[in-house]
Amino acid sequence: METVVFLISAAVILSGALGVIFSKNPVHSALFMVQTLFGVAVLFVLLEATFLAAIQVIVYAGAIVILFVFVITLLGVDRAEDLKVEPISGQRPLAVVLGASIFGIILTVLIVAVGGPTGEQVANTPIGDASDNTKILGEALFSTHVFSVELTALLLTVAVVGAVVLSTRPTKPLISTLDKQQNDNLEDELEEKGEE
Amino acid sequence: MSTNLLIVAFERPAIDWHAVAPEIVLLSVGVLITLLDILFLEKARPYMAALSGLGILATAIPLLTLGIDGTERVLFDGAYVVDNFSLVLKAIFLLAGYVVILLSTNYIVDGDYWESEYYGLLLASLMGMIMMASSRDLISVFVALELLSIPAYLMVAWRKRDPKSNEAGLKYYLMGVFASAVMLYGMSLLFGVSGTTVLSEIADSIDAGNGSSSVMTLGIVFVVAGFAFKVSAVPFHTWAPDVYEGAPTPVTAFLSVASKAAGFVALLALIFVGFYELSNIWEPLIWILAALSMTVGNLVALRQTNIVRLMAYSGVAQTGFMIAPLAVAGHSLSTGNQALSAIVTYLAIYAAMNLGAFAVIITLARRTGSAEIDSFSGAFHFAPGLTVAMTIFLFSLAGIPPLGGWFAKFEVFRVLATSGETWGYLLAVVAAINSVIALFYYATIARKMWADDPSEKDLNNIEVTPSLVSALAICVLVTLLFGIFPQLVARFTEVSLLAFGV
Repeated sequence: METVVFLISAAVILSGALGVIFSKNPVHSALFMVQTLFGVAVLFVLLEATFLAAIQVIVYAGAIVILFVFVITLLGVDRAEDLKVEPISGQRPLAVVLGASIFGIILTVLIVAVGGPTGEQVANTPIGDASDNTKILGEALFSTHVFSVELTALLLTVAVVGAVVLSTRPTKPLISTLDKQQNDNLEDELEEKGEE
Repeated sequence: MSTNLLIVAFERPAIDWHAVAPEIVLLSVGVLITLLDILFLEKARPYMAALSGLGILATAIPLLTLGIDGTERVLFDGAYVVDNFSLVLKAIFLLAGYVVILLSTNYIVDGDYWESEYYGLLLASLMGMIMMASSRDLISVFVALELLSIPAYLMVAWRKRDPKSNEAGLKYYLMGVFASAVMLYGMSLLFGVSGTTVLSEIADSIDAGNGSSSVMTLGIVFVVAGFAFKVSAVPFHTWAPDVYEGAPTPVTAFLSVASKAAGFVALLALIFVGFYELSNIWEPLIWILAALSMTVGNLVALRQTNIVRLMAYSGVAQTGFMIAPLAVAGHSLSTGNQALSAIVTYLAIYAAMNLGAFAVIITLARRTGSAEIDSFSGAFHFAPGLTVAMTIFLFSLAGIPPLGGWFAKFEVFRVLATSGETWGYLLAVVAAINSVIALFYYATIARKMWADDPSEKDLNNIEVTPSLVSALAICVLVTLLFGIFPQLVARFTEVSLLAFGV
């Protein structure tokens, strides 16, 4: 039973992930991502991490991807991009070879690993009963990991501040600083000539 | 039933407030800056640089009291450790941050670059570095890494009107996120095998026999690769030249010193506390990174005409030198301790000399309006003081006695040569050849500044702002002091992480 559920959700996750990469339309990519995240949520349920499964659906699939879709449609990039341009010749075949070899290495390592990819049982057994999930996670977050949690809050604030600054349109036209300097020099020279 | 839900037995975790005092002070200053910006808007802007500088100095006070106290403090079940190693590194970060603020003051005002937000982000990034110095667990290492990287991504793109800066920001962000993803995958594999995120417990798990798992090897390789990106070691260096060139120059100085040092701290903590026993895995990896970084960095630097790009490649080469002692660190415990001291020494001296070089570049570029090396020709005629300072920094970077860089390089060679391993000797030979190549391009810049005729007609002495003068003074002082009295820096960098790991 477990194996069947795992195989089905793995197929859902992988096809979704491939869909994200290969669809020409960004909106389709975002929707494929929802599919992937749902598959991961099923895996969480399988591991009896029910709280994480719920969070996965509500936060990721629900909020974040929908935000993606909003941004994509508002920015008007909801059409296919021309991806045929190759800035460095031979880049793509090389990337395919490298990617395939790294994939091969990872696959080999995971298959030959003694005792499976997760050696220690702590890493893949449920933490307490399913109903205790939320409580145990909350306690861990606010006791042993409280420092990281607080600083993650700072991180989010920083990200918001920076995003606002960067997304505000510049008031002056886009011009390279060096060009600007040259322009200034040019203006100075013109003024000098005028004075002569 | 419903009342049961309300009574949750939760014990507040025991927190050693003295140990986290530096973090709290720095965080408070950052929050204060953001609040002042919201309340006073434009009116508060002129005071922001001074305020953040003072904030960093205030952060140094609890750091000093912790250093005088000297006891090792372990918080959160070993996830956060305040020991001599972390205190020394925190001091280096604070000093580098202070100098970067001095460098930024005029640059940011001139460019009208959102000052309050800039200093807020700078302090946040610094906060991430300070946290990194104490992190001894995969989760806090990762949070610290993101906290120091994300403000850096934003600051690189800070010159919004310049397409080059936009390009640099995007490149840095995409590559940085990719490296984080690879590293995070490695961390998840490590957690999968050992069942814990605390580094010292991972070491225990390796002792217990999990170290032979091939998954552990894969995890270590991925984590090291992730940090190799952060310290810009070849072949993960491709982002550096474009990002350094496009970013505002003070931010470049910050990236090339503080951000690099933070990557090193994490690498050192992971290797010495976590995977020290598995030296057969990480030693060859580090050896290749070190040899490639030195050689490729120096050879490409020879051909650069833009001084910021040259500093980027010289930074890659210096990374090779800094990482080299790690390649023999697993040989024995004493070699390990020596390697650690050598790297920390190098980080401290490198911070001073590289920041100094950038201070000169910023000052000269304000005048010449260009970062081409040729535009600095004959700088001696209009900026004699700066030329002397630049010569000190360049020769220090090249490793000429009696400057600081000499002692840093000497320590590296000493560790490589005394390890008694053939691979150590080989790496020492590679490093020696590279020192000569590096001297060539550093000396070329110095020669142009001293001997060539100035390209400018205007020979009035250059205007140097007070903040740049103080930045230069700090850097020159540290570079000279550490070179002439090496025992000074050696006293502070005699640190050890191995008591924990083994």
